[in-house]
Amino acid sequence: MTSYSNGGFFNPAYHDNETLEIDKRYPRKNNHTNPYAREAPSWQGSGAETHNGSVGRTTGGDDSLARMPWGGWEEESQRGRESIPMGLISTRHHDRNHSAFQINPDSQYDRSRIGQLPSSISANMTMRWRGMTMRSMSMFPDADPARLAFTEDAIRNEMENEEQNQVKELVALSTRDRIHAIRSLPTSFAEKKHIRSQVLKSAKKSRKNAHLADFSENVSLFFRRCGYSVRSARQTLQLWHGIMKEIGGKFGTSVLSYFVFLKWLLMFNIFSFLVNFGFITIPLLVYDPTPNIPPNVSFRGLELLTGAGYFRYTVMYYGGYSNKILVGLVDYNMQLAYFFTITLYMVLCGVALLYSMASSFQTNYVLAAPASSGAWQLLCSWDFSVTNERAVRQRKNNLRVQLQESLSEKAQRERLTLSVKLKQFGVYLGSWLLSTGLAVGCGASIFYLCQYEEQRTTDAPSWTLLQEAETLLLPFVVSLMNLVIPLFYSLFNKFELYSSQRKQVYALVVRNVLLRGSILGVLCYYWMNVVPEKFSCWESVVGQSLYRLVIFDFLFLMLGSFFGEFLSKVLGTTLLPRLGVPEFDIARNVLELIYAQTLAWIGIYFSPLLPAIQILKFFILFYLKKVSLTHNCQPPRRTGRAAQMQTTFIALLFFPFFVGAVSMVAFTAWRLTPSKHCGPFRGLSNTFIVVEVWIAELAAKPGSVWVVWIYQHVIESELFYFMLVLIVLVVIYMFWQVIQGRKQLIVLLKQQIVNEGKDKAFLLEKLQNLQKSRPNKILKQKTPKKHTKQRSGNVSAGGQSTSNAMLQALFARQQLEDEEGRRGNGGVPVPSDISTSSALVQAMMARQRAEDQEEDTHMSDTDFSSPSAFTQASQARQRAEVEAWDEHNGAADYHENAANTSSAVMLVMQARQRAEDEDRTQWVPAHPQNPVPAGSSALIQAMLARQQAQNEFDDGY
Amino acid sequence: MGNKQTIFTDEQLDAYQDCTFFTRKEILRLHARYHELAPHLVPMDYTNDPECKLPLALIVNMPELNENPFRSRIVESFSEDGMGNLSFNEFVDMFSVLSEMAPRELKAIYAFKIYDFNVDNYLCKEDLEKTLNKLTKEELTPEEVELVCEKTIEEADLDGDHKLSFADFENMISRAPDFLSTFHIRI
Repeated sequence: MTSYSNGGFFNPAYHDNETLEIDKRYPRKNNHTNPYAREAPSWQGSGAETHNGSVGRTTGGDDSLARMPWGGWEEESQRGRESIPMGLISTRHHDRNHSAFQINPDSQYDRSRIGQLPSSISANMTMRWRGMTMRSMSMFPDADPARLAFTEDAIRNEMENEEQNQVKELVALSTRDRIHAIRSLPTSFAEKKHIRSQVLKSAKKSRKNAHLADFSENVSLFFRRCGYSVRSARQTLQLWHGIMKEIGGKFGTSVLSYFVFLKWLLMFNIFSFLVNFGFITIPLLVYDPTPNIPPNVSFRGLELLTGAGYFRYTVMYYGGYSNKILVGLVDYNMQLAYFFTITLYMVLCGVALLYSMASSFQTNYVLAAPASSGAWQLLCSWDFSVTNERAVRQRKNNLRVQLQESLSEKAQRERLTLSVKLKQFGVYLGSWLLSTGLAVGCGASIFYLCQYEEQRTTDAPSWTLLQEAETLLLPFVVSLMNLVIPLFYSLFNKFELYSSQRKQVYALVVRNVLLRGSILGVLCYYWMNVVPEKFSCWESVVGQSLYRLVIFDFLFLMLGSFFGEFLSKVLGTTLLPRLGVPEFDIARNVLELIYAQTLAWIGIYFSPLLPAIQILKFFILFYLKKVSLTHNCQPPRRTGRAAQMQTTFIALLFFPFFVGAVSMVAFTAWRLTPSKHCGPFRGLSNTFIVVEVWIAELAAKPGSVWVVWIYQHVIESELFYFMLVLIVLVVIYMFWQVIQGRKQLIVLLKQQIVNEGKDKAFLLEKLQNLQKSRPNKILKQKTPKKHTKQRSGNVSAGGQSTSNAMLQALFARQQLEDEEGRRGNGGVPVPSDISTSSALVQAMMARQRAEDQEEDTHMSDTDFSSPSAFTQASQARQRAEVEAWDEHNGAADYHENAANTSSAVMLVMQARQRAEDEDRTQWVPAHPQNPVPAGSSALIQAMLARQQAQNEFDDGY
Repeated sequence: MGNKQTIFTDEQLDAYQDCTFFTRKEILRLHARYHELAPHLVPMDYTNDPECKLPLALIVNMPELNENPFRSRIVESFSEDGMGNLSFNEFVDMFSVLSEMAPRELKAIYAFKIYDFNVDNYLCKEDLEKTLNKLTKEELTPEEVELVCEKTIEEADLDGDHKLSFADFENMISRAPDFLSTFHIRI
C-alpha cells in the first residue's frame, strides 16, 4: 500500500481528485478477495462480482468520480464547440447522476454470495474471516473523518452484508463448531459478541417451531453452561497452577516442560492407582479386611524401606490376594479381576502413550525448521511467559550470545581441517566406547550382585533384621550407579564438541538409556529366571525388590538434587566462581522420571499398589525440585526446542521403557508358572490359563456362546492374527507411499514458490523500468498545465482532467501489475489483500467510467457523424500521440494548442474505450463510422493489451 | 460467590465464555486484575457495560507484562485506537489470544501485529531491527544487527521481496512448534 500511495502523492492530480482516495479507502472494507483463492476458485469469482456490485453501490463516490473529468470536459467543450460538437454530453451527465448505470448492488451481492455458500463454507471460512477481520481491524488507522463521512453509508452497508454472510455460515455449523469458530475470530470481543448474538438470533429464526426453538436453545444453553462449569471445576482441581506460572515466569517454557511432564506422570499414576485399588484391592478388603499374617511377624519399621517382613503378607503384593471367587452381593472372581485389570491397565497406558506421542509428534516434528535458524531465533524464540526481571535479562544476554555465535558459526565450520576432524572423531569414538563399556560393566556387576544376594537370602517366612537389611544392598548399588554414571557421561560430553546442542543432548540421552536399559535388563533376567526357582512365593519377592528400588530411587533423587544442584551452586558461588550457578539439566531429570515410571510399570503385576508409592514420590519430588530449582539453579543458557524435547521424552518413555515393561509382564503371564501357595493364580500352570478356564465355564452356559466363539475363532486363532498383520502391513505400505508422494509434492511446491518469487521480481523490475520512463511524461503534462493555468482556468481544468484520467488508468495498471506479482507468489498475505482489492476496484472503476464515456461517444457519433469531426479527432489523436512519445515537441504543442490537446487526449481515451468495447463484443461492427483507426494507434494498442491482460488475469483467478 | 452476580450478568458471562477461551472463573479473575490496576477508575459493576478504558502506562505495569520487551506493542496491538488504551473487553481479548487454548492461526495473526512496529502489514528490516534491539538490549553492533536481520529475511522470505509478509511469517511459525507454548502468558 505504501508504495502506491507514495506514487500517488507525486501527482497533484491525484490530490485534486478525491475520488481516488475513496477508491483507496473503499476497498478496505468491501474486499472479499480470498487470499487463498486457489483453494476455492468459486469464492474468488464471487469476490470479483462483489467488486462490481460495490462500484455500483458507491454512487456518491462514483458520481464525483465521473463529474470531475466530465466537468472539465464541459468547460472545455464550450471553448471548442464548433470543432468538437458534443453538446449532448451534459444531458447525459445529468442522467447518469441519478441512475444511469447503477447495478442493483444488494441483489447481486447476495445472490452471488448465497450461490457460493454451500461449496466453500468449510474450506475457506476461517481464511476469509481472517482476511476480513484483519482488514476491519486495520480499517481506520489513519482515517480522515471527512472521507469517512463520505463513504459511511457504503461502509455500513458493506459491513452489514459481510456480517450477515458470516452469520449465515455460522448458523450452518453445529453449536460446538460455531463457538469454536467465534472464539477463533481475530476480532475484538465487542464484534465477536455482536456476531454471536446475531448467530443466536438467526439460529432461532431458522427453526420452524418457535417453542421447539426456545426449548432447544435452552437445552443447548444448559449444556453449554454445564460444560463451562465442568471446565471451571477442572481448573479448580488443576494442581499447582500458581507454581507452574512462577516456574514458567522465572525459567521459561523449557524448564516448565519438565514439571509438566512430572505432573502428567503423576496423573497417570493416580489413574492407575484408582484402577488397581478399585478393581482388585477394594473387593478383597470388603470380603476379608484383615490380612492373614503369620503370628511371628510384626511391624518393625524397616519395612518402610525394604518392603519385606510385615508388608509381605498385605495386599501390597501379589501374594496377599486370594484366588477365590468372592461371594457377596455379586460373585467376584478374583483371578479374572486381577488378570483383566492388569491387562486393561497396560492396554490403556499403551493407548494413552501412543496417542500423546503421535499427537505431539504431529505438532512438533512435522515440517519443523532447524532450531539454529536466525529467523526462528529472532521471531519465535522469545518466551512471552517469562516475567522475572533477572530471567529476562539473562535471556536477552543468551540470545545475543547465540546470535553472535550463529554469525561466526559458518566461518568456523569451514576452517575444520582433516586432522581436527579426525581428532573429533576419535573423541566421539572414545567416549562412546567408554560410555557403552560403563553401561555393560554396570549390568555385569549387577548380575554378580544378584547372584550374591540370591545366595545370602533364604526362603523363610520371616527374615531377621540383618537379613532384611542386607536386601537393601542391591537397590542401593543400582541407585548409586544411576546417580553417578550419568555424571561421568556429562563429563564426557564436555570434551566432545558437538556442532549443535541438540546432538549433544541426544547423545547424552542415548547413553543414559543404554545404562538404565542394561541395568533393568539384568534385573529382569534375574527376576524371571532365578527367583521363581528359589522362592515359594516368588512374585511377592520380585514385588519387594521393585518396592525397594522405587524407594531407593526416590532417596537418591533427593540426594541427587542436593549434590547435583545445591552443592554445585555452593561451589559455583563461593569456591570456583568459574563454574557458576548450575543450570537445570532437563534431559537428566526427565530420564530419572522415566526410569522411575518404568519401575512402577514393571511392578504393577507383582505389586498392584505400587502406584500409590509412586504418587507419593512424585508429589514430594515436585516440591523438592521446585525448591531446588528456585534456590540453586539458573535458567538453561540455550533454549533448545522444548516442544521437540517433550516429544522425544514421551517417545522414549514409550519405546524402550514401556514396551520393555509390557513384554516383561506379558512374559511372566504367559510363560512363568505362578507360585503354588500364594497369590490369585496359585495352582495354575500359567496366568493366562485363567481365561481358558473362564471360557470353558462360559461354554456350559447357553447365553454366552458368542463369547466362546469369539474366543476360539479370534483370540486363539493364528489365522486371524496372520490376516490382521497382513492388512496392517498393506495399510502401512500404502501410507508410506502416500508420504513419499507428499514429500515430492512439498519439494515441487517449494520450487513453485521460488519460481513465483522470481516472476514477481521480474515483473517488478519491468514496472520500475516503466516508471522510469513515465515520470517524464507526467512532468511534461504538468508543465503545460502550469502555463495554461496562467492563461485560462478552463484549460487548466481540461489539462487536469486529462492527466487525471490518464494517471488513473496508469495508476490502476501499475497496481494491478504489482498485485499480479504479489498474488502469484503462493499464499497471499492476509494483510496485503487490502491493496489487492484496491487495485482491482480501481481498475473496475476505470473500466466502468470508460464504458460510460463510451456510451457518450456513441451518441456523439450518431448525431454528429460528420467526417470533419473524425479528421479532427484523428488529428488530435495524432497530436496526442506525438505528445505522448515525442518529448521535445510535446511541450511546445501542448503549449500552443492546449485546448485542442486536451480534447485530443480525451478523444484518445474515448477511442480506447470504444476499442475496448469492440474487443469485448468480438468486433461486432455496431457503428459503421466507428473510428477504427483508433485501434491502430500504438497507445491504444498498449491500453488494449493491458485490458486484455487484466481480463485474463481476472478469469485466471 | 455472591460477588459474582454483581459484576457480570449470566448472559454477559455466557458471552464471554462463548467468545473467549476463558471460563467464568477466569473472566472474574481477569476483572479483578483489571480492577486492581486502577481501583478508582474501574467499576465493580459491569452489568451495563460501562465505558472505561485504562491507558497503556497502567496496563504495562502488570507483572505479566512488565518485563516483556514487547509490552507496549502487545497492548497497542489489542487496543482499538492503536494508542494502547484498553477497555475491559480488549483486555480480555488480549489474554484470550495469549492463553493456552488459542489456536496457532489466531496467535500468529497477533504476533505478526506485535512485530509489525510501523503497521505497514509487512515485517520489513526496520521492524526486525527494532525487534532485535528489544530482544538483545541493543548490545549488538550495527553490523551484527544488519547481518542478523538480513539472514532472517533471507531465511523466511519465500517470495523474495526482502520483507516478510504475513504468509512468510505464518509459514515460519508453522515450522516452529514452540511458538504455541512461548506465545503464551499465564494469567
